[in-house]
Amino acid sequence: MFTPRPTLTEVSCVKLGNLQVFHLELPLSVQDGYERFLSPSTVSLLQYQVFGHLKRLGFVVHRFDSSCQPSSYERQLNLPRSRDRAGTRLKRKRSDSSEASDRKDEDRTPPETSGVRPAVEGSEGRGGTWWLTDVHGGQSDPSPASGSSHWDFSSILFPDVGSRERQPGRLPSPDPSLLPASLAVGVCDVAPWRRRINLREVKTSPKEQKREEQRRGVNKDREVRRCRNWTEYRALLARRRGRRSGRPAHLWDGDVTPLHDPGQAIPTGELLDKISVIKSTHLLEGASRLKDSGEWRICFNVYQPDSVADFRKSDPGKPYSRVCVCSFGGPVPDLRALKTLALQSGDVSLVFAVVDHGDISFYTFKDFTLPTDVFP
Amino acid sequence: AAEEEEEEEAAAAEEEEEEEEEEEEEEEARPSSRAVAVSLCDSAPCCGGVDDLQAVRSQGLVGALLGSLPRIPRQNLRLGRPLLLLPERGESLQVSLVCCWQDGEGAELRLQVKQHLEDQKRSYEEQSVLALEDRKAALLRAMTSSHTESGDEALQSRLEALDRSFTFPSSALAVQVSTARAGLSYRPEARATLHASRPLRGQEESSCHAARYQVFRDLRGRGFYLTSAGKFGGHFLVYPGDPLRFHAHFIAVCLSLEEPVCLLDLLAVARLGSNVKKTVLLCSPGPEGRVQYTSLQWSGMV
Repeated sequence: MFTPRPTLTEVSCVKLGNLQVFHLELPLSVQDGYERFLSPSTVSLLQYQVFGHLKRLGFVVHRFDSSCQPSSYERQLNLPRSRDRAGTRLKRKRSDSSEASDRKDEDRTPPETSGVRPAVEGSEGRGGTWWLTDVHGGQSDPSPASGSSHWDFSSILFPDVGSRERQPGRLPSPDPSLLPASLAVGVCDVAPWRRRINLREVKTSPKEQKREEQRRGVNKDREVRRCRNWTEYRALLARRRGRRSGRPAHLWDGDVTPLHDPGQAIPTGELLDKISVIKSTHLLEGASRLKDSGEWRICFNVYQPDSVADFRKSDPGKPYSRVCVCSFGGPVPDLRALKTLALQSGDVSLVFAVVDHGDISFYTFKDFTLPTDVFP
Repeated sequence: AAEEEEEEEAAAAEEEEEEEEEEEEEEEARPSSRAVAVSLCDSAPCCGGVDDLQAVRSQGLVGALLGSLPRIPRQNLRLGRPLLLLPERGESLQVSLVCCWQDGEGAELRLQVKQHLEDQKRSYEEQSVLALEDRKAALLRAMTSSHTESGDEALQSRLEALDRSFTFPSSALAVQVSTARAGLSYRPEARATLHASRPLRGQEESSCHAARYQVFRDLRGRGFYLTSAGKFGGHFLVYPGDPLRFHAHFIAVCLSLEEPVCLLDLLAVARLGSNVKKTVLLCSPGPEGRVQYTSLQWSGMV
């Protein structure tokens, strides 16, 4: 059959009227040439379309031969080309983030002395007989639980002058036996005193209220009462401890922990690096380690028309660009394909010629660095 | 009888469900629905002859020209034959006889070769006569312009010498390279015996391909002209009339009714359509060959 090599030029020459091809002693028409020469094993129709398009524009188009390309090692030896990767960081410098958490238990703020709180309900009506209890014997009074004290506090009146619920209008006069001989004290009218007192209720914040609750007693704490066993109580204590130190247990004890502890200081740039989702890369970075799947191939070398004067077939020089042909119905090249093709292409830009049923669009991929607005 | 044969064989190459419709339509005998020779070029349907191109266009099917124009080869604005057809067009009802050109064998081949050689010889003789006349005219011009005193006798003798000794070298023979295959246009009766050697649609029949074909048929039936719209992110560009006279109104994207579509894709295609001032048409073929159309247009709150 036909050799694949010269078919491209043959068909184009036939169309330009330069060449007449014979098959079985009969001349082939252009249509015959299209049908016979173009096939996926030789030159596909897409490739021929791109070839024809570029040739008609005047470019010099040659086949790409990957074996003629210098390998990356050869390139390193022979060509002292400067790798210009301006303004890019290959490796992120990682700062030693001090993992040691300086957790210090915050001291409990001393409970504030809040306003007047009803300490003891004043129970009036009980006579003043507490001073009459016999120190040595104590038969007629209900002695308190602790045997050492001889006072009967239940009968001692401490009237709550500022209480809202029971408003004592007057205080009874004290027992004259307690007073010095010649003094006589009348009834005390509390009303003017009350007017001087700020009787508004003190608004306490929930924290303070809770502290008051806790101060009143661990057993009266609502949350403690909800614990049914020691395990739950310990969990409650751990929660409270965690909340205090800024590392709540539900965030930090699981498999997935937060990226960064807000309590630690970190420069903005490093924080942005920590939370970044996209890892940037170059086209040639790591490309030599990739295995070529063979799905994508570079088809042509294209040389510029105005360099035809110094273009020699024996020494073409560096091409203007390399072309890879595909179609809109086919897959888009993924990063792996892009990297292997960029490696094969070397320092010449790679152009993708995408054929859409007669229309050809050219696309290329270029390296680009996203700017970060971080002032160190 | 020849027509029936054609119909049978054409129907055999197409899908079964179109058989009845096809026969009905061909019986209506529209003058434009004639057999068109479509050949496969790297598994893409192409037309070569000028008559075939005219027939295809008159049926409202637009293709893309692939080749160089013989007179002005070095430009890309106006291309020449062959005409590449969309796969959907290739399957469309009125068109489509695939011919896989067989090489003639044996006696037929020898006959063809003999005919070709005779044609060449005839052309050679004509051209040699013309070349001789050309030389004589050039000689006359040269002699009369140089104003020599030799006069007419020298001229006559020179001309006679030329007559005797002139030979037209065969390497200077101008040969015509035909664009289309010579066989069909010379022998119209050969069309009657064309048969479909293989169906146009390949083995892979994906559902999206079937969807596209149904949408193509429906839109074509409504009188729209369709071209490919890869550059616009869709499947077809829909023109209200011939593409040479109108701009496209719609970008048709073919989806099946059941498959879920990512919202980002819809947004992307809507943006694209509004940028190029075309309405995006989402086409979903339903049962019984009816197609549902949904249009996307950028609008404000009002």
